[in-house]
Amino acid sequence: MSEEKKNNKFDETKYSMDTRIIYGKNISTKWDYSHHVTAPISSSTTFRLDSVERGAHGFERFANTKVFGEETPIFIYDRLGEPNKDLLEENLAYVENGEMAVTFATGMGAISAALGICVGAGDEIIAHHTLYGCTISLLNNWYPRYNINVKYIDLTNADNLIGALTDKTKVVYFESPANPNLDIIDIKKIVKIISDFNSSRDEEHQVLSILDNTFSTPFCQRPIEFGVDFVVHSLTKGIGGFGTDMGGAVIGKRKYKDILLLYRKDFGAVLSPKSAWAILTYGLPTLSLRTRNQIQSAKKIANYLNVHPAIEFVNYPGLSNYKYYEVAKKQMVDFNGEFSPGTLIYFVLKGKNPAASKENGSKFMDYIADKAYTMNLAVSLGHTRTLIEHPASMTHSVVPPEKLNERGIDAGGVRLAIGLENVDDIIKDLDEALKIIL
Amino acid sequence: MGFSTDAIHAGQTPDKATNAVIPPIYMTYTYAQEEFGGNQEYHYGRSQNMTRNILEQNIAVLEDGKYALAFSSGVAAIHSLTGILKSGDHVIVSDNVYGGTYRLFDKSLSQFGITFSWIDFDDLLSVEKAITLQTKILFIETPTNPLLNLIDINRVSELAHKHNLLCVVDNTFMTPFFQKPLNLGADVVIHSSTKYLNGHSDVIGGLVVMNDKVVFDKIKFVQNSIGAIPSPFDCWLVLRSIKTLAVRMKQHNKNALQIAKILSSNKNIKKIIYPGLETHPQHELAKEQMTGFGGIITIELNDFEKTKSFLNKLKIFTLAESLGGVESLVNHSATMTHASLSNEGRLKIGITDSLIRISVGIEDVEDLIQDLNQALK
Ligand SMILES: Cc1ncc(COP(=O)(O)O)c(C=O)c1O
Ligand SMILES: Cc1ncc(COP(=O)(O)O)c(C=O)c1O
Repeated sequence: MSEEKKNNKFDETKYSMDTRIIYGKNISTKWDYSHHVTAPISSSTTFRLDSVERGAHGFERFANTKVFGEETPIFIYDRLGEPNKDLLEENLAYVENGEMAVTFATGMGAISAALGICVGAGDEIIAHHTLYGCTISLLNNWYPRYNINVKYIDLTNADNLIGALTDKTKVVYFESPANPNLDIIDIKKIVKIISDFNSSRDEEHQVLSILDNTFSTPFCQRPIEFGVDFVVHSLTKGIGGFGTDMGGAVIGKRKYKDILLLYRKDFGAVLSPKSAWAILTYGLPTLSLRTRNQIQSAKKIANYLNVHPAIEFVNYPGLSNYKYYEVAKKQMVDFNGEFSPGTLIYFVLKGKNPAASKENGSKFMDYIADKAYTMNLAVSLGHTRTLIEHPASMTHSVVPPEKLNERGIDAGGVRLAIGLENVDDIIKDLDEALKIIL
Repeated sequence: MGFSTDAIHAGQTPDKATNAVIPPIYMTYTYAQEEFGGNQEYHYGRSQNMTRNILEQNIAVLEDGKYALAFSSGVAAIHSLTGILKSGDHVIVSDNVYGGTYRLFDKSLSQFGITFSWIDFDDLLSVEKAITLQTKILFIETPTNPLLNLIDINRVSELAHKHNLLCVVDNTFMTPFFQKPLNLGADVVIHSSTKYLNGHSDVIGGLVVMNDKVVFDKIKFVQNSIGAIPSPFDCWLVLRSIKTLAVRMKQHNKNALQIAKILSSNKNIKKIIYPGLETHPQHELAKEQMTGFGGIITIELNDFEKTKSFLNKLKIFTLAESLGGVESLVNHSATMTHASLSNEGRLKIGITDSLIRISVGIEDVEDLIQDLNQALK
């Protein structure tokens, strides 16, 4: 091995990210696990300290990257940091083009940490009205207790943000594509409006943007490149990719790393090293391969559904008749600049009224649960298996039926998360199920 | 060091790179070579794996041996003895070893020109008579499975060495916590770590321990060339289990002794075999070569009908193959573990249709006794 590689001076940037996603920075200062090609699974909750002095030094260094930078850490205790999580964090930051990443036990662990370090009593969050159900639950059921106010607006029209920002605003929070209806928000526009607003405010009172990039994964979209402050992920989904491990991550600027580590230490939503290892070893390195394949299938399936007589409409960023197609094309691009409209499809079945459309949706999904081979009726996404679900009664059941409309969710909406099956097999199963509606 | 101290520490110094107190699960099977023609210890996972090596070092210390090798099953560990055998060689085996050992020797290895004699080791004279110029190994299990006959390891080793043979002992039933064959003169110790060593009925594994470097090299050659190695994850699980081996064995022993004493006076039992009972014909030998009596009790009921009914009535004891787990199991030897023997073969060594092997777990002993009593009624 060359000296440049050993000393981490090797310049890998001439290689494509499809390749780099497998190697990360190649040599990590986090764990010199000798010559192992695959990382070991760290399985110790505690780490021996050679002396009290070294112990004290370890504690002094913890969450003090400002002073100690990326020096090889002194590991103390799993909740503070351990090799597998650190390796994964390094690679996640690398792939999202962020300066740092901190992992959490779940996506919700990451979301609550990102918000938790930004807001306090009396502050306000502005959020797009369509969000993952548990994020809505966090904002609506818990934050009022801490006197944190949440204002929901429609960010698909970025200009709505201009009038909504106030002195109390600390965070603008959104997903794009949004869960479940795949609303697309113009990231650059939102960032521009926030930065204009911030220009007249001091360092203490800057409004920060947080984008949940779970639906896109860094393969399809890297929001930090557009100026977003924080990307959050549920690693449980496309990045983990196999449906075996829960996980979450916050990715962003280096200056937030220490406070995120402190937050994780004190609130305790730490990622298990065994899960970190699986995501590091299986998930991330196959992200390009899996996602590219799933997008190919999603495009074909969206086109199929788009002209099916039983279907009212299809939301898929890759359909040229989708209302957000142009924005999606601008911001959802893979590592090589190709348009990558994602692996999720949202659609609504026809019906005389919303109730009838919902009933048709239920019939259709029950038929699939019963008869289909290539699909599972189940929540989650970014799996090897195609998953189908009914947001109004599952992922978004926190939203009462009378409020579905204002959250952009249809009573009969169906969310389809494409897996790795042969695409024609998925279409065959969909086709059979849709026949019963006609 | 004491047994428990070694169980917890031997081989397990904190990870060099991170100081992790518990060694990592080293998953890689290939190792980047620093330079061409370099002399790195680790090359490829079948030959070397760090987690496996830690387990090997650990069991070597516990058995008071110098070297150990890990395998993907107890049977694979026994099969590794082929490293010291060749076509034409002869092995003398104690006549009621585990059925899978019998099958391996009688049905597989015999195909390769290795011959076996099955002898009752109670009678060492007939063992000596069976020794020929081709004999290489005396292979014993003590206590035997399922009849719990004991074999005097000391005397068998002396006999082996007198004739320049190796004495191999399958120590699965006792574990090094209760019996250390190498200290009694044996040359090689075999384990099915599937049993007490792992103890939680979730890993299949085997181990071989020895003192002689030449034997070690030969068996290591088999480990690498046949490739029946355990996964790093399984090695890690066994390592974690061994940490509680001492406490588990004490409890198995305590529960089994109490149950054996109570069952001794039960009219519905025709015969009870447990080395810890004074009625066991080799109770004195048991006290000499073992420091406990283990968790296995064998009983014989009056007839097959009663046996079936007993097995079906048990609620806590599960009817299942295997033994040595924290949960109590019962096994019908004739149809399960020893089904590979012929009818006559079974009867010759005393495995009747009414024989039941009980693996006493570490549940509350009152519950176990109650369950046995209700099923025996
Ligand atoms: C967009 C989005 N964000 C966050 C989450 C929460 O992630 P986790 O389930 O890992 O907590 C989900 C999970 O469904 C999600 O779809
Ligand atoms: C005494 C003895 N030795 C060896 C074995 C074989 O071990 P394994 O099943 O791990 O191959 C067994 C298994 O029942 C056994 O009881």
